[in-house]
Amino acid sequence: MITDILFYSFMQRAIIAGLILGILLASLGVIATLRKMSFFGEGVAHASLAGIAVAMLADVAPLPIAIIWSVLVALIIYWLERSTKLHSDTVIGILFTASMAFGVILMSQTAGYQPELISFLFGSILAIRSIDLYIIGGLALIIMLWFVPSIKQLTYLSLSEESATVSGIKTKTQTLLFYIALSIATVLGVKILGIILVSALLILPAATGRLLSKSFKSYFTVSIIISEITILLGLFLSYIKDLPSGASIVLVGTAFFLLASLLGKAKT
Amino acid sequence: MPKQSRKTNKAAIDVHHLSVSYGENKVLDNISFQIPVGNVAAIIGPNGSGKTTLLKAILGLIDVDQGSISVFGNKLKKQRDLIGYVPQKFEFDLNFPITVEEFMGLARKKNQPALVIEEKIKEVGLTPMILQKQLGELSGGQLQRILIAEALFNEPKILILDEPAAGIDIAGEKMFHDIIDHINKDHDTTVLIVSHDMAFVSKVVDQVICINKTLICSDAPKIAMTEKNLKKVFEDVNLSHHEH
Repeated sequence: MITDILFYSFMQRAIIAGLILGILLASLGVIATLRKMSFFGEGVAHASLAGIAVAMLADVAPLPIAIIWSVLVALIIYWLERSTKLHSDTVIGILFTASMAFGVILMSQTAGYQPELISFLFGSILAIRSIDLYIIGGLALIIMLWFVPSIKQLTYLSLSEESATVSGIKTKTQTLLFYIALSIATVLGVKILGIILVSALLILPAATGRLLSKSFKSYFTVSIIISEITILLGLFLSYIKDLPSGASIVLVGTAFFLLASLLGKAKT
Repeated sequence: MPKQSRKTNKAAIDVHHLSVSYGENKVLDNISFQIPVGNVAAIIGPNGSGKTTLLKAILGLIDVDQGSISVFGNKLKKQRDLIGYVPQKFEFDLNFPITVEEFMGLARKKNQPALVIEEKIKEVGLTPMILQKQLGELSGGQLQRILIAEALFNEPKILILDEPAAGIDIAGEKMFHDIIDHINKDHDTTVLIVSHDMAFVSKVVDQVICINKTLICSDAPKIAMTEKNLKKVFEDVNLSHHEH
């Protein structure tokens, strides 16, 4: 059965993209949950619908446009959070619904059934083309080249921004870069997981990893391993049972989380 | 407590006509004082008097309306490496999985050996065994000492602490006073503390800076902490609320 799955090139692409996204989203998810930014991923993913709609109307590749759109949304969130007294959740809530509403209006101008839209909403293992794989791999590599050497700084500023600033860390720059990286990573995951479910891969592995870890190093490692297993099992399930890939991956991730919760409860 | 640190007349911190506002609300109004090198100085004042704002201005964490702050005669930005900071609030999820060693590693510079962590831990009266504990397992006093140890990584010439003794028991307070004394004398570090602890201020520090939006006094405790000054600083606030 496994050799059958690996035989198809669309499955090969989905698995490679999934494994890359697993590392990327789980790593960023650890910092995102520490910063209580789980809703940010949700907001950016939903907001990307407008970018996808613009691309479809213009008949160009949706992923690059969705990425640019989401980065713009992330920058506006960053700016509004600092220039107004509004709470972060409020700013994200306003922007993501506004951007999504704009996307829905644009979509309504496109006649007929939109199969690509459905795959963007719910994710599809058939959706990853070679060009998407290059985009996912290339951007993931760039993000990780910045993220890995910045983990200590990002963790420190997430725990105590003032202490981090005094110690010489460029906290504003690093926070802004984190917002951009998180928005790009979230949109990269949209093709497999779908707009509606992609943020789960930011939250679930990090939440499960936290329940099973006692040190920061093990937290990162466990979260990434859980993420990779979740994606592989989810894609496998999606192929065998002909289920939407995003929903399959999220349900496997949720099962791991529940298992970890029970294990954690049994220990205490 | 006898002092042996090398005090000079040179200013470690020079605050000159400093004013800070949050929107329409003026929090600090035309404040000027100097803290000589080697002093242990305390900022006192009631809640909302601008103590933490003053500290943040000295640390360069906020923009000021007018005035200037110099550190060892130079602009603050150029001297940031000389300052160590222990924040008042360290709010984090107690269940966040990070060991004390990993937490301290976050502040360690690449050119510093890993041994510096153990060295600083011992300096604040803790044993290296604590390094394997999770940060969330520490008591308030232990966490405070870990934060002080972390602030000492860069061998700061100025150590700034925001209400460090809050929530610490009497034994912890004694230990804390000894640590401040050790840092001041053995490291020749100028110390600036925001404190509500009047006993600590009157016994341990060399200089009291009393503020309530404006500067009320800046002098040795015996000279500064007069009934008249304290009344002016705390206005209608009952002093007993600020004593530990």
